Amino acid sequence: MPILLFAPCVLVYAIFFIWPQASLLAISASSKSGLSFDQYARFFGDGYYWEILGRTLGMGIAVTAITLVLGLPTAYVLARSQSRWASLLLLLTTFPLLVSAVVRSFGWMVLFFRDGLVSRVLLMLGLIDRPVQTMYTMTGVIIALAQVLLPLMVLTLHGVFKSIDRDLEYAAMSLGARPAVALGLVTLRLARGGIVAGSLLVFSLAISAFATPSLVGGARANVMATAIYEQTVELLDWPFGAALAAILLVVVLGLSLAYGALIEGRGELEAPR
Amino acid sequence: MTIAWRSPLGAVLLLLCALSFAYLLLPILVVVVAPFGATGYLAFPPQGWTLKWYAAAVSDTRYLAALLVSLRIALASALIACVIGIAAAYALTRYDFLGRRLLEAIFLSPLILPTLVLAVGLTLFFTRTGLLQGSWRLIAAHVIICIPYVLRVSLPVLRRFDRSLEEAARNLGASPFAAFFLVVLPVVRPGIVAGTVLAFITSFDEVVLALFLAEPGAPTLPVTIYSAVQLGFEPSVAAISGLLVLATFMVMLLYHLLSAFRRQRD
Repeated sequence: MPILLFAPCVLVYAIFFIWPQASLLAISASSKSGLSFDQYARFFGDGYYWEILGRTLGMGIAVTAITLVLGLPTAYVLARSQSRWASLLLLLTTFPLLVSAVVRSFGWMVLFFRDGLVSRVLLMLGLIDRPVQTMYTMTGVIIALAQVLLPLMVLTLHGVFKSIDRDLEYAAMSLGARPAVALGLVTLRLARGGIVAGSLLVFSLAISAFATPSLVGGARANVMATAIYEQTVELLDWPFGAALAAILLVVVLGLSLAYGALIEGRGELEAPR
Repeated sequence: MTIAWRSPLGAVLLLLCALSFAYLLLPILVVVVAPFGATGYLAFPPQGWTLKWYAAAVSDTRYLAALLVSLRIALASALIACVIGIAAAYALTRYDFLGRRLLEAIFLSPLILPTLVLAVGLTLFFTRTGLLQGSWRLIAAHVIICIPYVLRVSLPVLRRFDRSLEEAARNLGASPFAAFFLVVLPVVRPGIVAGTVLAFITSFDEVVLALFLAEPGAPTLPVTIYSAVQLGFEPSVAAISGLLVLATFMVMLLYHLLSAFRRQRD
């Protein structure tokens, strides 16, 4: 009975997930004469690709930082607010997730063009003295991508803050801690595991995102995902594209194993009740 | 209340929270509002007022065809993912065996793996094996990314389910199938519906797998929008995106009103 229930899912995963991914790795590490790491040697021997890898990781770090700075206060306010609007606002946070990343990136493109809103607001504030083009820059990609991924950070942190007993903050304050100190020493400390888990999630999704870097960044902001697309669909160099994909896969897999270990261990990090 | 929202710290937190919402909603607002502008290019805030770009989007048969393709693929993917996923979720919560956690982790892993890598692997796989034809290639790929969403929503619901109810039905003579369909299913139905809706939206919005695997000549709506945006900044592309946003908003609103109504009735 249980085997019959599993069978369809296991079969579908074996054929359309495990097998293609395994053959992707095989193709990336083979040549006509058998096992060969030429594709990887080409990647790691060329400064151009190191630059792409570095740019991708840098973009991941910047996006994670922005989502943390905005996500922490938002999740905290929503988790602690007693207003009945809080649940409606949480719903509003999930809404952007339901809108395709293509559409959201398009919205940013309209704002980023030379005479777009971003440029005009910056001019008005006196931060710049002539119109800037945020479009086709790494800055633009980071701003747009952080917006695409912010809801996931807020939702993850909201769950974590909800699980932390607010009496603990109370206790710290009644023992004389100022609110900021109580927040830092009690709440953020207890939320540590969740914060790391949320950051890993956002980071790995950021470094594998394709639609936003390709639309907002164009050719100027070449990252791993756009390089893979270029090698496969445009240049038809599938073995090298497969090697690039395998490298991205290994990075994300490593991060998600760390994420899994954190989720498993979260019970220990939670406050005793 | 642990932190007074009127204290300086509270004010900073509230300000950052408000900033987040502005940041989250601004680009979405742009695609809805900008096509109302009367200028021949997209501007935000829009100048003038016209419905002609929205009218152009609605009457463009390319978008209509792409919408139908997207709906068909999302419906097929969500239904297949729902049936396969629920069966697996039931077994995962019901039986304990060696490697159960590993299996669950593998089933959930497409959530975090780059879809682009999945797309490259699947394209190579399909061209080498010649397996599946037409839109079934994309549906198979979407089933893989939809099942994790079905599992994520249905696993906790099934774990919370009081198994003694099912045992009572079995003791009263129900077959395992009757017990599942008459007792388990009605109780966990909200979770299953939510998981399927999420799977549908995931497939409907997905662009990377669709770019690689969609049938030539029958692109999905996100692919059509992606290509149109790359070519140029036509207001009608923004208009079709805006319609998509409005439709998504309506569906979300309707879904929550319905579930709120049902909670009140119970």
